[in-house]
Amino acid sequence: MTTAHPRARILIGKPGLDGHDRGAKYIVHILRDAGYEVVYTGIRRSPEQIVEAAIQEDVAAIGLSLLSGAHNELFRQVIDLLKARGAEDILVFGGGIIPASDIPGLHEMGMAAVFTPGSSAKEIIATVDRLLSVRQEV
Amino acid sequence: MNEDIVHLVCDVRQNPAENTRAAARLMSLLENHPARITELYAGLADWPEPLMVLGITGPPGAGKSTLVDQLIELYRKRHPLRRLGVIAVDPSSHASKGSVMGDRVRMMRHATDPHVFVRSLAARGHLGGLALGVRGVLRVMGLMQCELILIETVGVGQSEMEVAEFADMVAIVLAPGQGDGIQLLKSGLMETGDVFVVNKADRDGANQLQSQLLTTLNLRASVADAGAPPPVCMTSALGGDGMDGFLDLLEDHCARSADQWLTQRKQRFEQEVEQAVLQEAHRRLADMLRTSGIGSEGITRVLRGETTVNELATVLLQLGARGKPPYNEGHVDERRP
Repeated sequence: MTTAHPRARILIGKPGLDGHDRGAKYIVHILRDAGYEVVYTGIRRSPEQIVEAAIQEDVAAIGLSLLSGAHNELFRQVIDLLKARGAEDILVFGGGIIPASDIPGLHEMGMAAVFTPGSSAKEIIATVDRLLSVRQEV
Repeated sequence: MNEDIVHLVCDVRQNPAENTRAAARLMSLLENHPARITELYAGLADWPEPLMVLGITGPPGAGKSTLVDQLIELYRKRHPLRRLGVIAVDPSSHASKGSVMGDRVRMMRHATDPHVFVRSLAARGHLGGLALGVRGVLRVMGLMQCELILIETVGVGQSEMEVAEFADMVAIVLAPGQGDGIQLLKSGLMETGDVFVVNKADRDGANQLQSQLLTTLNLRASVADAGAPPPVCMTSALGGDGMDGFLDLLEDHCARSADQWLTQRKQRFEQEVEQAVLQEAHRRLADMLRTSGIGSEGITRVLRGETTVNELATVLLQLGARGKPPYNEGHVDERRP
């Protein structure tokens, strides 16, 4: 598999209190195999930690994995913090146990993509490729 | 944000605390275009210098990132006003070119500390334990007025010693259970350490590793007549045991060697500029050899015996003296080795 931006950097974070990191690590793995440079930040991080790390690492996108049900609140916090830091050009996508009824609201708050347990690796990579292909790398 | 190198440098220099984003962008620029570091040389005369650049190297899983995390914690407690930078290098896939950079996982408790800046780099096929971008990131961390800079290499084996070219001091982190005393006898990595750390000292085999290490280091120092052997620290970084002693040792070394390190860094800068000038000259000459008739004709004439390599080189150098500006259109993209 090749991507438009073979060296784009992506940060994968797990905000909040759930420690189920299998999904996050799976995403880290498939993004690596698709040619991305992936910074993994581990479990139980605050939105502040994730945003600060993303800025220091100068990533093109943040991927958030969340299985606790707090996605509406925590995804919003990450997006708001990015705005507050003048870093709203960093794309945010997310995934986890997310009810279909919440997805339109998440898009509205600025999530670039939302994946659920049915999403395939191919679909996720294709979406991330498409989202990042329009971004200008330095 | 103005993404021109001069502007970014200016922003970071004026207010490093407020301009972390500019610093991070500058690092990306220099990582993606390593040759553009030459644009910083004009500012190097008054570039802020860190007190210490410490290289941390050793085999995968020895506990390098955990040790770095504890060093950050302790250093920040001892010096609440000092800024600290970490460069963490992880390997790139030779197949996909992708990378998983996981060193930061161990250091995330410092993510919101405004005095700590952590940057992960993928090796991007570079051998030697580091990445091409390290030079630039190191320079930017100096500009941010980081007093201590830690460079954590990829997990290394026996030959990757590049970190010694960038660091004032190199700590080699080992852990018990990774081979017997024969490994300690081998050339390469084991010869470069200024300080050795036996991490996971709470585990079986740690004392044995320590005594084997001391034997090897003492023997080498006595045969070479090189003064005291490098010290060996015992740590259990996960719980923080032994960290105070390790940092004491580093700070003591720093106090004694600061002047020597500055001289050493200055010599390296001079070598770096020398290399850059040679590379630029080489690039211009190569361009002339390839593109101008004088080049291809000249080579033919050398082969016919009508002129010599020396004469051809002189002609090219005279022509080249007129020169071309660097970074013209079609400049090579270093991102693709």
